[in-house]
Amino acid sequence: MSAIVDLVLGVVTSIGGFVEVGSISTSAQAGSEFGFQLLWAVAAATVMLAMLAEMSGRLAAVGKQSVAGAVRERFGIHFQAVPLVAELIIDVLLLTAEIGGVAIAVKLLTGIAFQWWLLPIGVVVWLVLWVSGFAVVEYGLGLLGLVTLAFIVAAWKLGPDVSDLAKGLVPTMADHDMTRYAFLAVSILGATVSPYLVNFYSSGTIEEKMKEQELWVNRVTSYAGISFGGVVAMGVLVTSAMVLEPRSILVNSYEQATLMFVPTFGRWAVALFAFSLGIGCLGAALEITLNAGYVLAQVFGWEWGANKPRRDEARFTTAFTFILVLALAIGLIGFDPLKLTMICVALTVVIMPLIVLPFLVLMNDSRYVKGHTSGPIGNGFLAALTILAGLLALVVVPLEILGG
Amino acid sequence: MPSRVDLIRDVLDKGVVDRHGREMGRVDSIVIALRPNRPPQVTAIEIGPAVLAYRVRPVLGRLMSAVEHALGIDQGRPLRIPFGDILGIHSHIKVDRAFGETVAATVEQRLRAWVSALPGSS
Repeated sequence: MSAIVDLVLGVVTSIGGFVEVGSISTSAQAGSEFGFQLLWAVAAATVMLAMLAEMSGRLAAVGKQSVAGAVRERFGIHFQAVPLVAELIIDVLLLTAEIGGVAIAVKLLTGIAFQWWLLPIGVVVWLVLWVSGFAVVEYGLGLLGLVTLAFIVAAWKLGPDVSDLAKGLVPTMADHDMTRYAFLAVSILGATVSPYLVNFYSSGTIEEKMKEQELWVNRVTSYAGISFGGVVAMGVLVTSAMVLEPRSILVNSYEQATLMFVPTFGRWAVALFAFSLGIGCLGAALEITLNAGYVLAQVFGWEWGANKPRRDEARFTTAFTFILVLALAIGLIGFDPLKLTMICVALTVVIMPLIVLPFLVLMNDSRYVKGHTSGPIGNGFLAALTILAGLLALVVVPLEILGG
Repeated sequence: MPSRVDLIRDVLDKGVVDRHGREMGRVDSIVIALRPNRPPQVTAIEIGPAVLAYRVRPVLGRLMSAVEHALGIDQGRPLRIPFGDILGIHSHIKVDRAFGETVAATVEQRLRAWVSALPGSS
């Protein structure tokens, strides 16, 4: 019975926790600039995330190791230092962007400039982590995040042509602005497969004390929950494509993205968009902050866990607090949340090979996963997509930046 | 203890727990004594950020030592545990020590004093 409850909660909260600042901004921009043409990128990124989440849960359930801890043990600190630092830098920037996303959402509801909300939101994030266990972070915000289903409702009500949607799921070349198209494809991948998620899933599996016999729960939760979550991200893209693209409205700010809800929800559009953005980003901010504590504690061998008293794991608590303060400091210096998000998600793809490829080696090492090693199809798909996307990112990210 | 140990695979960078199962850190370094006309002898494992940083880059190790000195937490660090005090090598390395009684706990105890002062920490 407990496994069934875990399964249902896991699937539902994966849906609610999928959409955040990165997926909203990349999907909204993709839809407004290229219609349905980049749906395939959302689908590919979703499959990739589901596979990685399943694998990290499997590593944790069988090997009782998180990804960060296992990489340190298997490859040593000399190898891990560079990807670790790169991941932490991106996590801090992404955390700033997520807090910015919540602040923009509050601004949409109150009209008060988003900068004024950064510090209070940072305090809320810290307080939630201080007083709550893992279940509140994972399930509480995931359930509230079901408000993001509004994107699917909006897309459904707009009545897209099914054959056009199907065409979007097949990769094609763009008929205009190929660099921008490739940049958005790379960004969608980076927004969906954030490095923090891989370690967060494995740490969460350890927190929940999942056993080897419950691997089927992990498999169903990963594939079903994340696939449904991917449908929400597709809802963002489709809504944007049907509302913003015909009117030539480009998503240069979150305020413009709000317009995609107007035809469907009328006077509730702003509030609904703000709640979707705010709750999605708050959930992601909590996960990134907690994961920063997880990563540092696991790499250095400290006590960790969201369910333990904070005084019993002072270094873990201090670590996530420090990362949160750092992200807030960057936010308070001044930034454009949308631009920062796009930089983060593009850079994520550049460092992705450093994160994913060692992880694939771990998942084929029977010392960590016993007989549950990954198959050749999964290995090949993930390795090929990671390397291709990394190479593409190395080309298009500088071009996009140079092109303004 | 296994009869044959691969130091890099089975010991270096592995998690260390004390005799009560509490996490103490990871094996940040291994001490090997060179002996004339005899094979080198593994004498101890070390836990501490300075030796870990030294492995990445010697300059980082010196920097970390300076930071520890400036914070007044360099006394007795890194923690050196003789190889003979290793109780077992499994998924973790279990050592015959109590975490709270070693210098590996110095930073944890200092931070705990601050964390404990906040309401809701326990």
